[in-house]
Amino acid sequence: MAVKMKDLKFLVLALCAALALVSPITAAPADITVVSSSLDPQVMMSGDTGTLTIVIQNNGAEPVAIQSARLYGKGVVPTTDPYLSVGEIGGGNTKTFTFTIRADGGEGTFYPTFVLDFREGGSLRHPVAIQVEDTPLSISMVEKPDAFSEGRTAGITVMVGNPRPNAASGVQVVPEGTGFSVTPTTGFIGGLEPDASGSVTFNLAPETETDVTFRVVWRNGINTHTTDLVLPVTFGEDKKRANPVITNVEVTPITGGYRIVGDVMNAGLESARSVMITPGSPAVPIDPFRVYVVGTLDPDDISSFEVTFRADAGVDEVPLFVEYRDDDGNLYTSTTPVGLGSTVMTPVKEGGSGGFPVLGVVLVILIALGVAGAIYHSWKRT
Amino acid sequence: METGFLQVLLNPARFFEARIRDEPSLKVPALIALICGLIGAVSALIMADVTTAMLPAEMGGLGTLMVVFSTAVAFVGGFLAWIIYGFIFHIISMVFKGQGSLNRTLEVTGYGLIPQVFGGIIGSIFSYYLLSGLTVPAMSSAEEIAAFSEYLVTVLTTDPLAQVAGIVSILFLIWSANIWIFGMKYARNLSTRDATLTVGIPVGIYVIYLIITLIGWL
Repeated sequence: MAVKMKDLKFLVLALCAALALVSPITAAPADITVVSSSLDPQVMMSGDTGTLTIVIQNNGAEPVAIQSARLYGKGVVPTTDPYLSVGEIGGGNTKTFTFTIRADGGEGTFYPTFVLDFREGGSLRHPVAIQVEDTPLSISMVEKPDAFSEGRTAGITVMVGNPRPNAASGVQVVPEGTGFSVTPTTGFIGGLEPDASGSVTFNLAPETETDVTFRVVWRNGINTHTTDLVLPVTFGEDKKRANPVITNVEVTPITGGYRIVGDVMNAGLESARSVMITPGSPAVPIDPFRVYVVGTLDPDDISSFEVTFRADAGVDEVPLFVEYRDDDGNLYTSTTPVGLGSTVMTPVKEGGSGGFPVLGVVLVILIALGVAGAIYHSWKRT
Repeated sequence: METGFLQVLLNPARFFEARIRDEPSLKVPALIALICGLIGAVSALIMADVTTAMLPAEMGGLGTLMVVFSTAVAFVGGFLAWIIYGFIFHIISMVFKGQGSLNRTLEVTGYGLIPQVFGGIIGSIFSYYLLSGLTVPAMSSAEEIAAFSEYLVTVLTTDPLAQVAGIVSILFLIWSANIWIFGMKYARNLSTRDATLTVGIPVGIYVIYLIITLIGWL
């Protein structure tokens, strides 16, 4: 046992001497520090993939041999392999380690640990704070019409805000759906800093009642996210649209038909353009006023009109069609029934169009010639 | 040929010159007035048909009465026109110291109605043509009937076809006046000038009235 103790002391001394000979200039691991760490994106969302960059520095004068560098933790996990053979880092030098990570643990602040294993033993453990927040970009409707009309172009302004703590890039708004046409087809806003907002205006012309989805697409780092805003498009009466009203109607019979005279007034709040008035079925428009073109009627403007038509026996009411357009050229039609009452049209002469009776004039001329001839003949014989 | 109807129309001087040698006879003039009355009755029948259609169904009896009455009045109207014309001419010719019986005046006046027969026929055709296509709505109130009647008058005075008919009747009236001038000349032993004034004054006034009506000044 005494021998054994002696041998042991010798062994320890030999080992110390060997260590002194093998690494006489190696610095201590305590000289290695993490000088910075950065994450892209700065704030992740659940399921996002990010890039964590860690920079270490050797603050000592001598090199330090590093066996491996790893990152591990819960909630935010690395998706790339650890650095298994790092090598030495010289005195005063820095070294960068990049890890691809994925946020799997929902919202919150996570602390995955960066571990450096030194070759001569020991390790450096450095927790890195990573924030995961799922707050999306906000989208709101800034301007839209009170009601939509078929084929009428309506201006719609959408505002996108960034309530997130980090910037969003590549922000764009895409209207999606069917039954409408829209310009532009995509509204690009670009980057949005935290608490910033951007707007984009679309000209939407619905063809049917439908739902229009305004989809906000943006990137958080390399991750693409979307947020939707659904706009139900239902047709209704525009409160401001032009409203031509027909009043002061007077129906009088004419040869071969009827004449309607009256006033048309724009009781709406917008101008009615290209206003035209024409009688509808069962009435058949006839000359001289098959259609009456009023032109533009500004709000509260009034204009007289006159139309002529014929109608079959038994027709006691005919519709008057008022056609007009808005500033965008969309066509509107309103109908006003007009009663014919007890008025009766004068019959149309066969072979004519209700105009001047040519046959009758010819007959008058012939009779006049005959009478003149007879009178002349009778006086000649006197 | 001297007493033929064609002679009356084309050479009334010769006709009446020959006719004056015989005793006055009102048979043929009355027949002419009768034909005029019949033609007038046909026109009245066409008009009464439209008027009857305006009335509600429950007033059908009144409609029939109206048809009978208006037709009878029109028929008698032919005779009345003959007699009225005759009396007017006779009275006016007195101013020019005309000599001759009233019967003679009535006789020549009756012959002068022959052009009115043609005018009446053409006028009846125009009336039929004008009114046959007229659709009469069902009316239930007196106001509606009055409004339609007013409209009917408007049609009969302003329609181009009605105006043509009016011009035609004026032309035939002038033709009749021409015959009456020669008739009065021989019936009342007037100069041509006096006969022309006798006939021309009343007929001229009536023609002016007709023209004014046609133009629509009344």
